[in-house]
Amino acid sequence: MSGGIDTRVCLAGIELRNPVLGASGTFGYGSEFEAFFDLRRIGGFVAKSLTLEPRWGNPPPRIAEAPSGMLNAISIENIGVAAFLEEKLPRVPDGVAVIASCFGTESAEYAELAARLSSSPRVAGIEINASCPHVKSGGIEFGQDASLLAELVRRVREATRLPLLVKLSPNVTRIADMAMTCEDAGADGISLINAVQAMEVDVETRRPVLSNILGGLSGPAIRPIALRMVWQVSQAVKIPVCGIGGILTADDAVKFLLCGASAVQVGTANYLNPLAALEIAEGIQSYAERHGFARVADLTGALETRSV
Amino acid sequence: MTSTGRDSRLPSRIDAQVLENRSEGGNNHRLVLSVPDWPGAEPGQFIMLSAGARAAVERSDPLLPRPMAVYRGHAPAAEPAAGRVEVLYRVSGRGTQLISEALPGQRLRVVGPLGRGFPEVESDASAVLVGGGTGVASLYELAARAVARARTTVVLGARTAADLMGRDDFAGLDIDLQITTEDGSSGLRGLVTDALAPLLRRVSRPSSTTVYACGPTPMMRACAELAESHAVRCLVSLENNMACGFGVCLGCAVPARRGGFALVCQSGPVFDSNDVRWQDLP
Ligand SMILES: Cc1cc2nc3c(=O)[nH]c(=O)nc-3n(C[C@H](O)[C@H](O)[C@H](O)COP(=O)(O)OP(=O)(O)OC[C@H]3O[C@@H](n4cnc5c(N)ncnc54)[C@H](O)[C@@H]3O)c2cc1C
Ligand SMILES: Cc1cc2nc3c(=O)[nH]c(=O)nc-3n(C[C@H](O)[C@H](O)[C@H](O)COP(=O)(O)O)c2cc1C
Ligand code: FES
Repeated sequence: MSGGIDTRVCLAGIELRNPVLGASGTFGYGSEFEAFFDLRRIGGFVAKSLTLEPRWGNPPPRIAEAPSGMLNAISIENIGVAAFLEEKLPRVPDGVAVIASCFGTESAEYAELAARLSSSPRVAGIEINASCPHVKSGGIEFGQDASLLAELVRRVREATRLPLLVKLSPNVTRIADMAMTCEDAGADGISLINAVQAMEVDVETRRPVLSNILGGLSGPAIRPIALRMVWQVSQAVKIPVCGIGGILTADDAVKFLLCGASAVQVGTANYLNPLAALEIAEGIQSYAERHGFARVADLTGALETRSV
Repeated sequence: MTSTGRDSRLPSRIDAQVLENRSEGGNNHRLVLSVPDWPGAEPGQFIMLSAGARAAVERSDPLLPRPMAVYRGHAPAAEPAAGRVEVLYRVSGRGTQLISEALPGQRLRVVGPLGRGFPEVESDASAVLVGGGTGVASLYELAARAVARARTTVVLGARTAADLMGRDDFAGLDIDLQITTEDGSSGLRGLVTDALAPLLRRVSRPSSTTVYACGPTPMMRACAELAESHAVRCLVSLENNMACGFGVCLGCAVPARRGGFALVCQSGPVFDSNDVRWQDLP
């Protein structure tokens, strides 16, 4: 708690100092932000998605600017689960909630990752990345097929007792159905959305702007889509929802809370402003104070939908 | 890749104030910023600069900050309020256009200093600095420091005379300055490599000579090949798309000779040219 009101929230059993997390792939392994601010002032972060072995990503160009957003096709470049546990995790200060994100091409890989990550007392929760929009196999294959997704969540559920979040892809027809599938399979919470599948072309060179041709769109351009999906999912499931997509400011974050999210993840905004997550956390608190809420947690689902 | 320079100073995010922002002919502009608590920078380090002046509402389009070399401003702020950073930039798209419209008194967001710059020039060595296009901006401080320690030659190139960046500043240094333009409107008609080749042919001690190149990728690659053919070491300062500048987006990766990739913003922007897999660069 800081200041007058209670900023703490609980996300799927993970106690957070405030509802702001850094999103996977935009917050490194945490320590990259230590030059900028004390990580204990935000809720925590979801680390870059991990694979069993270290993995290189795509050749350049991997990113490009887009209207009010950016495209990326990094392809889950990461140091692998062993180096994460041995080298990165110990550098995160105590009191910062670290959620580990798992990625694989088969559900057995996800389960093994979850089991290994669960051995560390510093991992507060597991997020299944079932939604990377541009990796050819794995990720989105699970996120777009309800029966594969159910099987994946069940396998990981058996492998860990940690709070289990599933990160959903927006590249589906009925997002609420996918969320209910995860709930039924034993997930403790739903994170959404991952980047929106997209592409862009340079007309001078007549080439796609990304070496991978397809990429994921993130940033403010996707925020209204993300908000709509968070709203639909929070209507459909009882487990908590973590809202992600184009959050640049505290007002943006509040919108997700009002639409039913228990917490939010800040992604692309960290790139342009390494203090974004901190400023958003502080801004949510002052919003709650200004609007007479005793607890930040009371913002969740406080959307007024009566007709005016 | 082995890192070449030093990264002594932690970056921070600072709201900088525009002191001056003026056209220098062609599409080139000079921006002078007041940067509170500026810790200083090494030659070759850069900043991420918001794509336009900050307003009450966070700008979402264009979204990404622009990487820009610290042209001058390598000394730490003498007093907390008095840090000063100069940027030379070319208006080439929407972001740099908006930066050029920022008025004195308005604020731009700076994240920096970032990356690893050039290693210190060895005393009694020969330094040949080659800058093309906007790459010139990464070399001024290196040249200014090299003159006291080494025989320093600087080759600056551009398409046409009006595009040459920072020429008068370089001319004020005690260096051997050579200019090339593709249309012959100033100096030698041709490319920077047309000036570099005869310089390298005259090198008597290749092992104590270093080429420092910054500019478009094909130019740097050509400089690296020339240097290699004369057994001269070549350091390059690479340009790549960047979203963050501090190692978290993984967007700026370049293929490394030893396999895999290296981040331009973290292991670079300065690399030994032998560490780069040039054939796999776009
Ligand atoms: C380490 C480093 C130092 C640099 N220093 C300078 C400098 O001192 N002066 C200067 O004029 N330019 C410099 N550049 C290049 C400068 O960043 C680009 O010219 C600028 O980002 C173009 O933005 P725009 O809005 O004009 O173009 P747009 O076409 O609107 O840009 C679209 C996107 O592409 C990126 N982009 C376009 N061209 C480049 C490029 N050449 N390099 C990297 N990203 C690019 C932009 O950052 C943006 O994300 C540097 C680049 C790097 C990587
Ligand atoms: C460059 C980049 C890399 C990303 N890497 C991952 C990743 O490894 N795992 C993951 O679950 N999401 C990843 N994401 C998706 C973000 O976590 C987030 O879901 C998405 O960008 C939407 O939020 P935003 O608009 O706030 O960025 C990445 C996004 C970007 C832009
Ligand atoms: S620019 Fe983001 S990692 Fe280099």
